[in-house]
Amino acid sequence: MPFKLTDIYSTADICLLASGQTLEELFVDSAAGLIEIIVDRDSLGDKRKIGCRVEGKDLEELYYNWLAELIYIKDAELFLPRTIVIDRLTETGPTLTATLYGETIDQSRHRLKVDVKAVTYYKFKIEKIDNLWRGEVVFDI
Amino acid sequence: MSHEKYRRIGPNIWEVPTDFKDGMTVPARILSSPKLIDSIDNRVIDQITNVACLPGIRRYALCMPDGHVGYGFPIGGVAAFGLSDGVISPGGIGFDINCGMRLLRTNLTLDEIRPRMPELLGKLFATIPSGVGSKGFVRLSRGQFTEIMNRGCRWCLDNGYATDDDLRHIENGGYLEPADSKTVSDKAVSRGINQMGTLGSGNHYLEVEISAPENIYDRETAAVFGLDRDYQVLVAIHCGSRGFGHQVATDYLQVFGRYGKGHGLKIRDKELMSAPIDSDEGQRYFRAMGCAANAAFVNRQLIVYGVRQVFREIFGKTDRELGVDTIYDVAHNIAKMERYDIDGREETVLVHRKGATRSFGPGREEIPDKYREVGQPVIVGGSMETGSALLCGTALADRDAFGSTLHGAGRTMSRIKARKAARGEAVQKRMSESGILVKTGYMPGLAEEAAMAYKNIDDVIDAVDELGISRKVARFYPVLNIKG
Repeated sequence: MPFKLTDIYSTADICLLASGQTLEELFVDSAAGLIEIIVDRDSLGDKRKIGCRVEGKDLEELYYNWLAELIYIKDAELFLPRTIVIDRLTETGPTLTATLYGETIDQSRHRLKVDVKAVTYYKFKIEKIDNLWRGEVVFDI
Repeated sequence: MSHEKYRRIGPNIWEVPTDFKDGMTVPARILSSPKLIDSIDNRVIDQITNVACLPGIRRYALCMPDGHVGYGFPIGGVAAFGLSDGVISPGGIGFDINCGMRLLRTNLTLDEIRPRMPELLGKLFATIPSGVGSKGFVRLSRGQFTEIMNRGCRWCLDNGYATDDDLRHIENGGYLEPADSKTVSDKAVSRGINQMGTLGSGNHYLEVEISAPENIYDRETAAVFGLDRDYQVLVAIHCGSRGFGHQVATDYLQVFGRYGKGHGLKIRDKELMSAPIDSDEGQRYFRAMGCAANAAFVNRQLIVYGVRQVFREIFGKTDRELGVDTIYDVAHNIAKMERYDIDGREETVLVHRKGATRSFGPGREEIPDKYREVGQPVIVGGSMETGSALLCGTALADRDAFGSTLHGAGRTMSRIKARKAARGEAVQKRMSESGILVKTGYMPGLAEEAAMAYKNIDDVIDAVDELGISRKVARFYPVLNIKG
C-alpha cells in the first residue's frame, strides 16, 4: 500500500502513515515513506548495496529500530536506498534482516529535500486492523 | 486556547491550576500576550500540564510565548527539578541537543557589502556545508571527536578554530561539564563525526543581517553588545549538534523506557520518559547530553571559522580590521544545574530548556565581564524573511522564569501546508524584491520556512519585554540567507 505523508499531529514535523498486507510490506512501505521525505527516490540509483540487521524486544521496538537504523545509515554511511528488500522478518524474538540498494548521497545529482533526524514516539503506532498492518510515525525534521 | 480552568493571573500570564489534571503537583504557566494567547493550542496545554506531573518539579512548568507542540515538553517549555527527588528527561531538552544561536558583529556596514552581496552569498554557500548529506570541512579522527565531546570549544581554541574572545562570549565558555564520551554510543559518534561545521537542514540557517538605527531599542546596551555603527553588518547562525545529538537522544529514550518499565513508572507520554537525576541512567544521560552540547558549540564555532575565512577573502582585510567577533552564543535546547530561590530557600535545580533561552540578569557571574552590568545577551531567531532580535536578560527572569525566555518566533503552519500555500520560487522572488538574497539546496524548503509559517517575531519579543523576562535591545533585518 502506498504511504502517505501528513501534518495531522505536528506543525514542525512530518507524520508517515504506512500500511501493508504483511509485516514485510509495512516495513518496506514505511522505509520508502521515510526516504521519500529526504529525497526524490527517482533521482537515486541502486549501485551500492548495504545489508542491515535490526532487533527489538517486541514488534513496536523492531519497527522503531528499523526506521532509526535507516536514519543512522543515512548519516554514518551517507547512503540513501532506492530499493528496500526485507530478507527475513521474525515476529518471535523480533529480528529483521534487509538489503538496501541505493547510492552514496551526492548533492549535485540527487534531488534532496529535508533531513530527517529522528524517529519520535509521539503517536508512534504499529497495529493490525482487518488483516491490514498499519504504522503511524512522526519524524523529527 | 479557551477553557474555564485557565486563569489569567497577570497581564501576560495564564495559569493552569493543579486540579486540571490528575498527577499535577505544580501549576502550569503560559507566558504570552492577549494577542498571542489564542495561538497556543490545546495540545500545548496537554503537554505542559504533563510536565507539571513529573516527579520533583519545582514551582511551575512554564511555556514561553513562542510555544508550540513538541514531543514530551512543548517547544518553549521550561521546568526545574530538584536534584534528589527530580528527573531528567530527553523530551525536556529536545532531539537536537544544544540547538542554539550564534550572533557575530563586524566592522562593516551595509554600504560596504552591498556591491559584493551576490559574491558573498555564493562564497558563504560554497564554504558552509548545508542540506542532507553535507560533510564538514574538518576531517576528524575518532580521537579528535572524543576531545570535542569532552572539551567542547576548548578543542577549537587549541586547534586554531576559535579565539579566547570567542570562548568568553559563548554560554558556559563553549563547553559543558560534566561531559563523558564513555556514555555515548558508537552509533552517535558515527553519525556526528562527519557533520561538524555543517548547518543541517529544516529551520537551520546562516544569515547576514543589518542593524538599522531605527531598530535599536536600547542604545546603551546595544553599544555594550558591540553594536556601534549604523547599518552594521551582523551574521546570525542557527544550528545544533546535528545527527550526533539526535542519536544521543534516541539512545537514551530507549534506556529510559527500559528504566521506566523496570521500575514500574507510570508514563503519560513516551516522549516524556525520564529517570531520576541521581540514578545511574540519569547521570549517564546528563553526561552524554554534555557531550552533545559540546559538539553543538563546536559545530557553530567551526561555521564561524568558515565565515571569517569568507569575509577575509571577499573584503581582503584581516580579522582585526573586519572585527568579525562573537557577540554571544546561546543554547536553546539544554538542561543545566542552576541555583534559584525556591519558595524562600536557595536550591540547585536542573533546569530543562526546550526551545527556550537562558536570560540571566545583570550581575550574575556566568555572564562575561563585558556584559555583566547589563545582563546576558539573548539571541532570538525569526523566520528567514524577518531576521533576528537581540534581547537582554533580566533579574525578573531569574526570579520568575528560572532565568529563561523565548527562543524564536514559533512555528504556526505545518511544512506541508506551507508548501501548498506558496512555491519556494515565489518566496525567493518576494524576498529578492524586498532586498533579501537567499540560497538553498531545496527550493520547497523556502516555503516551509517563510514568514507566513511563523508567529510574528515582533509580537513574541513584545510579549517577553512586557513580561520583563528579557528586554528588547535591537531588531535586525536580513539581506543574505543560506537555508539549510
